[in-house]
Amino acid sequence: MLKFVLRFGTLIGFAIILVVFTIALPESFLTARNWLNISQQLSMLTVVAAGMTVVMVMGDFDLSVGSMATLAGVVAALLFTLGQPIEVAVGAALLIGLLGGIFNGIMVSVFGILPFVATLATLTMFSGAAFIVSGGKTISGRAIPEAFGAFARTGVDIGGFIVPNLTIVAALVLVVTWVLLEQTPFGRRLYAIGGNIEAAHLSGVRVRRLKIAAFALTGLSAAGAGLLYASRVASANPTQGSGLMLNAIAAVFLGMTMSRQGEPRLLGTLMGVLILGVLDNGLTQMSVDSYVRQVLVGGIILIAVALGSISKTRRR
Amino acid sequence: MTLLVLQHVSKAYGGVPALRGVTLTVSPGEIHALMGENGAGKSTLIKILAGVVAPDSATIRMDGAPVVIDSPRVAHRLGLRFIHQELNVVPTLSVAENILLSQPVPRRLGLFVDWAKLNRLAGEALKTLGITHIDPRAPLAALSLGDQMLVKISSALVSEPGAPARLYVMDEPTAALTREESERLFRVLNEIRRAGNSVLYVSHRLDEVMTLCDRATVLRDGVAIDSGKLADITHNDLVSMMIGRKVQDAYPAPARPAESRELFAAIDLSGPGVGPITLAVKAGEVLGIAGLSGMGQTALLRMILGDTRAKGDMRLDGQPWRPRGPADAWQGGVAYVPAERRSEGLVLSRPIYENITLPHLSRQSRSGLLLLRGLERALSQKLGDGVRLKANTVNQRAVELSGGNQQKVVFAKALNGTPKLLLLNEPTRGVDVGAKFDIYQIIRTMTAKGLGVILVSSDLPELIGMADRIAIMRSGEVKDVVAAQGLGEEALLNLCYGRDAAKVA
Ligand SMILES: Nc1ncnc2c1ncn2[C@@H]1O[C@H](COP(=O)(O)OP(=O)(O)OP(=O)(O)O)[C@@H](O)[C@H]1O
Ligand SMILES: [Mg+2]
Repeated sequence: MLKFVLRFGTLIGFAIILVVFTIALPESFLTARNWLNISQQLSMLTVVAAGMTVVMVMGDFDLSVGSMATLAGVVAALLFTLGQPIEVAVGAALLIGLLGGIFNGIMVSVFGILPFVATLATLTMFSGAAFIVSGGKTISGRAIPEAFGAFARTGVDIGGFIVPNLTIVAALVLVVTWVLLEQTPFGRRLYAIGGNIEAAHLSGVRVRRLKIAAFALTGLSAAGAGLLYASRVASANPTQGSGLMLNAIAAVFLGMTMSRQGEPRLLGTLMGVLILGVLDNGLTQMSVDSYVRQVLVGGIILIAVALGSISKTRRR
Repeated sequence: MTLLVLQHVSKAYGGVPALRGVTLTVSPGEIHALMGENGAGKSTLIKILAGVVAPDSATIRMDGAPVVIDSPRVAHRLGLRFIHQELNVVPTLSVAENILLSQPVPRRLGLFVDWAKLNRLAGEALKTLGITHIDPRAPLAALSLGDQMLVKISSALVSEPGAPARLYVMDEPTAALTREESERLFRVLNEIRRAGNSVLYVSHRLDEVMTLCDRATVLRDGVAIDSGKLADITHNDLVSMMIGRKVQDAYPAPARPAESRELFAAIDLSGPGVGPITLAVKAGEVLGIAGLSGMGQTALLRMILGDTRAKGDMRLDGQPWRPRGPADAWQGGVAYVPAERRSEGLVLSRPIYENITLPHLSRQSRSGLLLLRGLERALSQKLGDGVRLKANTVNQRAVELSGGNQQKVVFAKALNGTPKLLLLNEPTRGVDVGAKFDIYQIIRTMTAKGLGVILVSSDLPELIGMADRIAIMRSGEVKDVVAAQGLGEEALLNLCYGRDAAKVA
């Protein structure tokens, strides 16, 4: 029984949260509209967390995703003010994400800098760059093409429900990342690197190249999330991505408590994202103060991770 | 009076029994061998005794009184000392800190760590094994596996006034030791016996067991068989108790002599601390590499693998051989079995089949883009069966395997993808007698088809039995190359020490 609680603690906790909100918010919580809303709110976090999972599979992580998301949004907005079409602005923003990620990967794998240090440095760099590009101001208004903002406000009619475009993008990113991590040699090799980098290297895994590729994907996903956000608010400002990084890492950690070996798995990450999102949604509806909300969410993450590590260190 | 009695010890992992009602007794002043094939349950039994693994059932008595061992601390207090098969050392601490890990730290003024004293005590502990070449201040991570083992053994031998040691339990302590180091260990074990204390000793080296130990308990199919006095039985009796079938206990002869075609050659190869080395391997030949530990054997293999940059020329199959890394080497048909299976050979947290297919995943997937798990599993099953891998399924994680079975996975991985040249570094370390000879047989079958092998081994009979020629390395260079046929162990050892450099083939 205790074993069971420890092993499935996070899932049980999630179920309890769902029940509590369903009872406390009988009118609004368990409605399709609310869940579509949650899914849309979570789309940015989902995309970033999926990218984060890719590097965390190798045992690394990327602190720069939040400021990369910001930078990408700001770059796209700036290009809009210069009269560039949507494709060019979006393409350029994604390219910056890719290049920034490659830069992170090179720092980590070629120069051997700890990911914590390397991506902390690039966090600052990307953030500074976002301020420079935007001149420290929010870019909004007429410069942003109508169609760019409309993308986030519209959706696709699936069986009578209007599923928001952002939700669909997030779902696609999830599927692609899942296939990549679980069904391709690429993902297999990333897990091997995460398990034992020396053994992987001696078994012919090209560790350096793969690390760069993985960080590139994380950077790309961060830029993508930045674009989704910019579309949603039809503007871009130099601080908008700030909360993403911590939440993405928290989501992956929550997910890791659900996998048997304590490895990052994409489905676990998705559950982590849902837990964070549902908590936020429910507590907001119950008009819990946002600072109290932060304390609660932090505490829940700690409990989940602590339970997970207890269950893994007990005598077999 | 017996010192230790274990009864009704049972343990199953996920429904698969590893031990089924095992009984084991150890008398005072006895060196007691614990024997069995890979996966027989030796380490499991030891971990139960150490309070590391929780048994499904067990009755333990010490000096006749029942005891419950539910944590390593209790075991320690009862006077049990352990050297586990997987070295539990702290690589970031120094040798001295590792040796005195379980002791109160010596302090000055009750506050500052007395490093001088700590290092002195550690130095003394090392000296009980006659070791002077290890610096107590060195970080443990800088040591070879053999030296780490010696540190661990010294640490177990440190006496403690509070909880005097009664029984030393050693799980394959000599697997990574040279012959001399092993002999020094045996002298210490004999002293322990003379002082009236006991040793429970695990090894797959039967000669060692026959000369060192008084009695043996043999585990087979999860149950224990008492061998009686080892002095009364033969080597072969012991083998058939372990394996239950006749084992061909001789090195298989080559099916045909090596071809004259040169498969691999290194000319003036040199790298950091090694070389220049010139050597050649013919198709179908096993070239042995002998030498004291750390004479550049591993560095040589790693240069051929492309892991370390090397100056000089190499040729494989008539083409220049210039791998830029292990990935190139595996693709070009060179396979590597590293010396340290847990740190270099395996991704322990991943399944067996993922480990075996890792080097050739591009070929063993759909156009290198989509995994073909069915194919991977079937292939791994086949390669695993060839080396008598004992596992529930190939989906089992490598960490769940016994030590010898982990080694077999590393070997099976090297056989994947039909290599041209096998680089073997201590390939049979920890492998039981039966499986060892299957591995030798596989090597013979493959060399008959033109495979070349470079075999680094500290097991001298293995080198003499398997190699066609033996290159002797001293201080990073190949000093002699001799024919293995008719070479005696002593003569080979002398060559390793450079005491007799007359015979050059
Ligand atoms: N954590 C685990 N999970 C599942 N099975 C395990 C685990 N640890 C050990 N086993 C199984 O228990 C059996 C006994 O393993 P054990 O390590 O005791 O063998 P051993 O006799 O020490 O072998 P070796 O000579 O190879 O070291 C093996 O079949 C092994 O697969
Ligand atoms: Mg064992």
